[in-house]
Amino acid sequence: MFNLFSLSWRNIWRHRGRSLLTAGAVGLAVFFTLFYLSFLGAMENSIYNNLTASVGHLQVRVEGYREKREFRDLLIPGVAQVEARLAAQTQAQWVVALEVPALVAGETRSRGVLLIGDRRPAALREAFAKQYLAEGQLPEADDLEGIALGASLARALRLKLGDPVYVYAPGTEGRGAGAYRLVGLLRFPEAAQEARSAYLSLAAAQELAAPGGATRIELHFPFTRYSQDAQLAVVQPQLAASLGPGLSVESWREASPAIAQIFALLTPLVLIFAAIFFGLAGLLVVNTIYLGLLERTRELGVMVALGAGPAQVARMVVLESLLLCSSGAVVGGALGLLTIAALSGGFSLEALYGPVGSEFGLPSVVYLSLRAWDIPITLGFALATGLLAAWWPARVAARLEPVEAMRFTA
Amino acid sequence: MQPLLQTKQLTKVYRVDAIETPALRGVNLEIYPGEFTALAGPSGSGKSTLLYLMGGLDKPTAGEVWLGGQRIDGLSKAQLAQLRLWQVGFVFQAYNLIPVLTALENAAFVLELRGEPREVREAKALEALQVLGMQDYAHRRPNQLSGGQQQRVAVARALAARPKIILADEPTANLDSKTGLALIEHMRSLNREQGITFVFSTHDPRLLERVDRIVRLEDGQIAA
Repeated sequence: MFNLFSLSWRNIWRHRGRSLLTAGAVGLAVFFTLFYLSFLGAMENSIYNNLTASVGHLQVRVEGYREKREFRDLLIPGVAQVEARLAAQTQAQWVVALEVPALVAGETRSRGVLLIGDRRPAALREAFAKQYLAEGQLPEADDLEGIALGASLARALRLKLGDPVYVYAPGTEGRGAGAYRLVGLLRFPEAAQEARSAYLSLAAAQELAAPGGATRIELHFPFTRYSQDAQLAVVQPQLAASLGPGLSVESWREASPAIAQIFALLTPLVLIFAAIFFGLAGLLVVNTIYLGLLERTRELGVMVALGAGPAQVARMVVLESLLLCSSGAVVGGALGLLTIAALSGGFSLEALYGPVGSEFGLPSVVYLSLRAWDIPITLGFALATGLLAAWWPARVAARLEPVEAMRFTA
Repeated sequence: MQPLLQTKQLTKVYRVDAIETPALRGVNLEIYPGEFTALAGPSGSGKSTLLYLMGGLDKPTAGEVWLGGQRIDGLSKAQLAQLRLWQVGFVFQAYNLIPVLTALENAAFVLELRGEPREVREAKALEALQVLGMQDYAHRRPNQLSGGQQQRVAVARALAARPKIILADEPTANLDSKTGLALIEHMRSLNREQGITFVFSTHDPRLLERVDRIVRLEDGQIAA
């Protein structure tokens, strides 16, 4: 026995070819939307992980550090106490860094650099080495003589591993100068960063420029997905309050506002594309539903004559549109999810954007992944398409006069 | 006895491009419960128009229509739909079955619109098909039935809903004489055995021979 639902279902398959084409268009829109959203999710996660791996999720610095000119004004007072508070407040790992503007020289050439002395927990140190170390090794935590340079900086200074490196840090509070041995070469995605990066152990940098000092503490949380970033909104003000005045706690967004802006634009951009896909599919749905309505005007007239009210007739038209869109959405969604599952193991994009991509922090391998709301958003689009496409035909159907409709010839 | 259906000075004028064509001119008619009445007359005499106005399918230009003691000519579209759903059964010349539904489902269509439970719908529709000798064809679609069988399903659809009155617009016009006659006999026995009121528009002499009363229409008026 039928009901209005099964009647609508049977009606949409009266013209199998036309309905398949229309459902296919909706399915394609669902497929591409899911794919793009998962691609966007993958890009977000990759960029987020790359970025936070290099700058941390949060950074503790001296308040107003951007406006301060003197090196000593950038030093965090009481680094040990700050670390003790961090240990009590958070589960994050942290990197203590001392950044010193310095002059690095080889036997014949010299360059101005931002010398960084840092102390990293083992896992972060390993990840840093895996990502950026091209040759040699990073200076160990207790190494007071080893230095790692950006590969292009070493080239410019005509230095190779094992060569002596001379560092001058005038106007600081330590020895102000030191001789080191080149132990590692680093490669960074940004050429400018590679050309002016020099790394010491924190102890060596403190001995050179500021005994016991640090200019930055990076906090690294165990987040692997961009969606987890929302937790920072809670942690950040709590940390800021516990550290007291004189220190600021900045998120990666504040530290890298340009990338934060790109993040904010990505989702709306994909949703605009999705709206265009569904808009085009919706035109086909309107066409199919309206043609069906024209072809069945007499039949609808009979239904009205038999007692179907305007709301019942409109409901049937809407139901047909929704069923048509749902059919496409189910098939397109299944294909989309299978594709995403197949590509979730990662695929290379280097062929697409080459080495330029890494300059912008784009990942070389993308792992497709869906976020919690990607599927509801896509289904919402399909549902909205079905409802909007049915609106006008349903209105026409609800206004049918039975006698006129039964006399109608297409 | 109170009439089941009554028209008073019923007038219908069709207007197309400012040209007025009168279809009915002041028709006064009373149909009593249990009647088996035919509206006869030549093409264009206003039979179908009168039938549609009496069933609330169309609105008159002037005059009144009363059904079961309720004036219906001023009802809204939705109210008229409710009235047709619960009180009036229709049978059309071209059968007008829904092609994607089986005979049983077509017979149950009005009951589905009423929102009756599935079991009730099925039982009533099957009973109506049985009365018309169509129970063996219950699961066939209209395109698997002959014209006469389709029209019997259409009558079953009207019958299953147990309306106060069944209005049939030239029900035998598309049927051969044997099939038409069989259908007439079916409707006549329903009228006698179940007391269902039938009003037909027809110019089929076979049907006219079997009705209780013939109302002749000419130029939109009841002929003397």
